[in-house]
Amino acid sequence: MTENATRNDVAAFLTRRLAEITKRDPSAITGSSVFVEMGLQSIDAVLLCGEVEDTFGIELDPASIFEHDTLDSFLKHIDERIAAQ
Amino acid sequence: MTLRPTTFRPETTWYLGLSTSGHDPALAIADETGRIRFAEATERFVQDKRAWGIAPDHVNHLEHALKVCGADPERDRFVVATSWKSVKAALDISVHDAMLPATDTLWIRGLQAGLQAGAGTNLLRLGVEDARRETLHFDHHLCHAATAAYFAPVDDAVNLVLDGEGEVGAASLFSMSGRRLTRKWRSWGPGSLGTFYAWLTFHCGFDWRLGEEWKVMGLAAYGTVLPDLMNELTGLLSADRGRLKFTDDRTIAAIDALTRAHARAPGAPVMDGADLAATGQAAYAALADLVISAVREDGVPDLLLSGGCALNSSYNGTIAGRLGFERLHVPPCPADDGNAIGAALLAFMQDRDEEAVPQSPDASPFLGTTPERALERKMMFAANGLVVANVAGRSADVVAGRLSQGRVIGVMRGAAEFGPRALGHRSILADPTYPGIKDRINAEIKGREPYRPLAPVVPEAEVGDWFERPQPSPYMSVTLPWRNAVRDLVPSVVHADGTGRLQTVSPETQPWMSGLLEALRRTSGAPVALNTSLNVMGKPIAHSVEDALAILATTGLDGVLCEDFLVEKPVVD
Repeated sequence: MTENATRNDVAAFLTRRLAEITKRDPSAITGSSVFVEMGLQSIDAVLLCGEVEDTFGIELDPASIFEHDTLDSFLKHIDERIAAQ
Repeated sequence: MTLRPTTFRPETTWYLGLSTSGHDPALAIADETGRIRFAEATERFVQDKRAWGIAPDHVNHLEHALKVCGADPERDRFVVATSWKSVKAALDISVHDAMLPATDTLWIRGLQAGLQAGAGTNLLRLGVEDARRETLHFDHHLCHAATAAYFAPVDDAVNLVLDGEGEVGAASLFSMSGRRLTRKWRSWGPGSLGTFYAWLTFHCGFDWRLGEEWKVMGLAAYGTVLPDLMNELTGLLSADRGRLKFTDDRTIAAIDALTRAHARAPGAPVMDGADLAATGQAAYAALADLVISAVREDGVPDLLLSGGCALNSSYNGTIAGRLGFERLHVPPCPADDGNAIGAALLAFMQDRDEEAVPQSPDASPFLGTTPERALERKMMFAANGLVVANVAGRSADVVAGRLSQGRVIGVMRGAAEFGPRALGHRSILADPTYPGIKDRINAEIKGREPYRPLAPVVPEAEVGDWFERPQPSPYMSVTLPWRNAVRDLVPSVVHADGTGRLQTVSPETQPWMSGLLEALRRTSGAPVALNTSLNVMGKPIAHSVEDALAILATTGLDGVLCEDFLVEKPVVD
């Protein structure tokens, strides 16, 4: 799998899950969407990190989703983790 | 004349593991071969149960530990390792408070932050220059898993951690192959069997902050599992492929309200909580089964279990032969104190580029302080009104003789056990064939509730003669049913539900205790000793000779064996 494919996979996965969790249309979620403004609760953010770990076989830092407040910023961080492995 | 350095030796590196959870601090020191040379919980040294918030590198305790290892603070190098990677208080996560009060969680996080920040600082006080000191931080569950691996008699195993709270959740699964650990998954979020048991402890009228989960486990034997309540309690948690999740807050509140109808108020009669204890323990078992049945690996018959949940000996005794595992291995120190060992080993591995977790050469739990040498002089002064005898070379026979007369004797021999159980080095011993001796120990010596069980020691080679589902239990990690035919022989170590939390010993690993059991066999017919920790309720296990003699002076204990000296109260007719 190329890095681009991985990045697109993670982006698609997060967009789909964020839409389900915050009960909104996936098309309304963009790279600059801010998690807190979408109504993402901290407990859901934590559980979502677990789903990313399980789905993509990486280890995330527990603070990461709170340090990155937009989808793009969080995706960039995940890319770095994948590259580091 | 040439000058020769008199103290020349190459610089040595020591790996100082520190348990920095905030509760149950401990230190452990590994040498350059990855062997643990010393390990001890801080609570023993300061004689304060659980030692909340006290630095695991408490300066006087650390000084003693370095001396025992032969470390030289003036020249050696020290790699300090903490048992947590992150500082929980620094995470901007709202605290889950549906099961336990948020204040308790915030309190512990505050203590953890302080201990993480200060770890290893006390080395400076002992003369270690800053340049010869570095600090590493390791994942909490990885520390548990490494500790379990150190004591495990196998190189390949499923290595599962279940506790109250880790870095991101309360369960982690590792695969151990050739002693190399690989994380398979970890659960995220507050879902936790440890938190469930703390909540249960509270509703049974006890206090998890005092470590009273034991009392729930013991009380469960007196209760009846209530099917409707059981159904509700198991609804608190789900295990998605082993990953634990609490149900939503509204459902938790509803189950909490239902449970209150069966709860016991802290001052109420203990037996008021028995049905809830039994039902909660059964719910714990059902939930833990869900996790364990999800972690089996084809062709891997051994399960290593650690984390605070691995202290649930009643459940542990049911695992082997079920759920895809033939054998269960629990280290002597599965809870957070034990993480000091894991942290020290991980520091050793990182510093020396080792991938495999070292294995203990003898699996010995006796890693703590040895009674000091000034013993004989102390005994002479302490002897006023007491009988003191040097029983060197025959102490097991002499103590067994006293036990068979119905006397109850404390023993303080050799290096202390690391972990919560007394395994014969800091123990109170009795002959369990005396029916009334359990009540006497609970009432007159330990000062605890009469229902609480006392544990047996049996020869490992004969465990099948005494117990159903026989298996080794060198660290007193499992509770098993006594065989029907033998229950009346050893009434004081048979719990209300016919079980015992056994320790098995062999002449190779525990010659003294094995000798004592043989001597008891000759007098009572049963090679079984009653063994409980050398402490009184609310206090840690005795650390110094003075602690042991204080217990003798202030309880109904008949005598104390300190190394080769037996100090006894005169026999009153």
